[in-house]
Amino acid sequence: MEDTAKKITTKKEFFKQYKKKSRLQEIWKMFLKNKLAVIGLIIFIIIVLVAITAPLIANYDNEAIKINVPNRLKSPNSEHILGTDELGRDIFARIVHGSRISLIVGLSSVAVALFIGGAFGAIAGFFGGTVDNIIMRCMDVFLCLPDVLLALAILAAFGTNLVNMTIAIGLSFTPKFSRVVRSAVMTVRGIEYVEAARAIGATNVQIITKHILINCIGPIIVQVTLYVASAILTISSLSFIGLGIQAPIPEWGNMLASGRAFMRDHAYIVMAPGLAIFITILSLNLLGDGLRDALDPRLKQ
Amino acid sequence: MDIKKVNIEGNTLEIRNLVIEYVSDDEVVKAVNNVNIIIGSGKTLGLVGETGAGKTTTALSILNLVPGPQGKIVSGEVLLEGKNVLTMSEHELEELRGDKVAMIFQDPMTSLNPVLTVGDQIAEGLEIHRKISKKEALKQAKEMLELVGIPADRAGEYPYQFSGGMKQRVVIAIALACSPDLLIADEPTTALDVTIQAQVLLLINKLKKKYHMSMLMITHDLGIVAEVCDEVSVVYAGHIIEHGTLEDIFDNLRHPYTKGLFDALPNIEARRSELKPIKGLMPDPTNLPSGCPFHPRCDYVMDVCTKVLPENKWLSDTHRVQCHLYKDTNNSML
Amino acid sequence: MIKYIIKRLIYMIPVILALTFVVFTIMYFTPGDPTAVILGNEYTEEASMQLKQELGLDKSFIVQFFNYVKNLIRGDFGISYISRAPVSEQLLGRFPNTFKVVAGAMLFCVCLGVPIGVLSGTKPYSLFSNITMIIGLLGVSLPIFWLGLLLILLFSVNLGWLPSSGIDGFPSLILPSVALGANYMANIMRTTRSSMLEVIRQDYIRTAKAKGVSQRNVIRKHALQNAMMPTITVIGMNIGALLGGVVLTETVFSIPGTGRFLVESINKRDTPCVLGCLVIMAICVAISNLIVDLIYAYIDPRIKAQYSGGRS
Repeated sequence: MEDTAKKITTKKEFFKQYKKKSRLQEIWKMFLKNKLAVIGLIIFIIIVLVAITAPLIANYDNEAIKINVPNRLKSPNSEHILGTDELGRDIFARIVHGSRISLIVGLSSVAVALFIGGAFGAIAGFFGGTVDNIIMRCMDVFLCLPDVLLALAILAAFGTNLVNMTIAIGLSFTPKFSRVVRSAVMTVRGIEYVEAARAIGATNVQIITKHILINCIGPIIVQVTLYVASAILTISSLSFIGLGIQAPIPEWGNMLASGRAFMRDHAYIVMAPGLAIFITILSLNLLGDGLRDALDPRLKQ
Repeated sequence: MDIKKVNIEGNTLEIRNLVIEYVSDDEVVKAVNNVNIIIGSGKTLGLVGETGAGKTTTALSILNLVPGPQGKIVSGEVLLEGKNVLTMSEHELEELRGDKVAMIFQDPMTSLNPVLTVGDQIAEGLEIHRKISKKEALKQAKEMLELVGIPADRAGEYPYQFSGGMKQRVVIAIALACSPDLLIADEPTTALDVTIQAQVLLLINKLKKKYHMSMLMITHDLGIVAEVCDEVSVVYAGHIIEHGTLEDIFDNLRHPYTKGLFDALPNIEARRSELKPIKGLMPDPTNLPSGCPFHPRCDYVMDVCTKVLPENKWLSDTHRVQCHLYKDTNNSML
Repeated sequence: MIKYIIKRLIYMIPVILALTFVVFTIMYFTPGDPTAVILGNEYTEEASMQLKQELGLDKSFIVQFFNYVKNLIRGDFGISYISRAPVSEQLLGRFPNTFKVVAGAMLFCVCLGVPIGVLSGTKPYSLFSNITMIIGLLGVSLPIFWLGLLLILLFSVNLGWLPSSGIDGFPSLILPSVALGANYMANIMRTTRSSMLEVIRQDYIRTAKAKGVSQRNVIRKHALQNAMMPTITVIGMNIGALLGGVVLTETVFSIPGTGRFLVESINKRDTPCVLGCLVIMAICVAISNLIVDLIYAYIDPRIKAQYSGGRS
């Protein structure tokens, strides 16, 4: 009896490995077929590289921050490829450095949402019943408030600094995220191999970690990608209305806000930052869509 | 209800050399490979085979509803009462469907529109083909409901309010509303409980006789074939590997696959004997074996089977088989 | 049906209460002393104590919340710290403008997004469909405020066709509505399209075709109603997003609405006004969710039957 159980386990492991590897390969192959998604991935990687190597590309203090009034409002030329803003700062340098803030706050706020929302969602989805009900009712309340407004409320109360922004935006995504995780967990929980795992005596914890989480990762990764896009949009929006990253720190949103007064005669001043936001969000959306399509088994037909 | 004219000149359905493929970016599924079918007026043909053998695709081609753009009809003709369905215009097809030929699909749970009442769904066909008013159509729809054993006053209810078996009856009512000449039943009882299966079969049989319809019964259940069919075509990997009357197939089968199908049935009398499944699996339709598609699983395989597709050999007026074993003889080689 | 409406209305109340509680709590914990903000230069310990008593700020959290809700029910949103005018007055003056912009955006979204999505979903491999897919992808990624600025640049500055600010008359509504709605229109278009595609693959569409129903009627009678359901859900979810985005739109187009008022109040640390704006917006979202649910129930017979005592 014990021997057969052991045989099953090792055979199971063997098949699981085999299945996992080829499944990942399959997903990757499907993803690659989607040209738009690949473009999105490439663009996003470029943006990340730019953010990481920002100080090497453009000097922060001299070009991005230092005010140089005689140099102000120069159209794009050979020295300043994107021109200079109303305080004489090089727009290109500011955009490059701005990418850091956007990415850092974007990624960390989604991380916050992932941990908090994910924890609640996983618990709600796994245990179901009253626990699920209570948690979801609480989350439903938050769903009534638009994300930006919730973040605004928190920032209004506690002030606008980087940490607060991360937490505020993260918290505003938490309810939606918990829903996603919850439904992913609930779908997987019902599937037969969880029963099979139980049948060979795996404990609840083992089940959660080995089986459920691994298979929830798919939809969660898709949502994470799309939420990072949303987060970056939210940061720029908040900075645009003055309740986010404050000057002189370069952030694409606040660059648009300060350049706005001059856009009639110097249109380029609002082009670059806006394009930066647009392209970043676009690449993430393409990536997220591509991941979603690659992971959806139905689309294989 | 309107009773159709009894005798139609010629065959209700003739399918000639039909080849259908599903083409996607990286692979070609050979779903239907040179299929020939004849259904005479008032006769019932059973199309028997395992899931994935190409039966549903063949049936859909009769309505010219093979799902595009992947589904491509490569060659062949489908003659419904002498007219080739594959070359008709969309308008002509719309007139035919539901009126001359109707189909009962496999899964009753998803075949009905959830937001329309069952009465409306039955009446729709009547409105289109009989050119009558909505009120009149609804009245006739209620009569159809009674015919299939559902109280007429349930016509205003929605599909979710019916059980699986009753939904299938509604599907049957929809199919028969305009008393078609040919009824195609695609595994009509597979999704139902065993007890309901019997009821639905009885109903189909009764209505078939009443309206003098020809029928194409698609199934993998030999029991159903025995109950309902006059002739049988056995399908494997998109090929019809044996065809004959009920006697030909049940008493005088010739093809090893047909033998396998019958052997696989559990034998209540010989309780001790082991179940005898056909070894191996259905072939991958994107990569069919060379020569005869059944050869990897055949107990009687010969060298020629792996290289050459067997020709059709007529063993009698009614019985034909596609197998190298019968190249030189008509007697059973099994 | 009526029972369903009443049930949902009743359900809305605890939700709004809970929301008010959340927002109130957040604002309550604002560091700093509101009396300092109000009194400004005239700040003294005494005056501060007096003011606190006047405003009820010396009571406990629960009592304060309770009082707030009590007043809310009577329509009293409190008094602005800065202007000393009733918040409700200021909200009343500005809310109609916000409403106009949001309504305009909603119309733009639905009237354009849904038909294009349906057409695109019906003919999935056509040029039209591919173009709409690309526009959809681009549209979802466009930041509202940038689009607003670009629209102003093009239509106001360069072409001079439309005004770039204020809210008098219909032409001034066009650019803000488009800017606000573009994102969501793209969203709705994509959802409608994929929902149509999903529905067309269903078995009951095949049944309808097998009956001889013409292609046009297959779409109109069978596919549309079923495809609308996810679309309506998305439209509903987007209303909240529209209210979030209107803050940006009002800033870009200098529209005196609730959104801009909110931002100004935050900058001035005028808590009652902030609270008032947030509560009003939350109520709007709750009401629009209710309307969406009702429409949903009307379309889907399964839900309708549940509440009109039909057989289940």
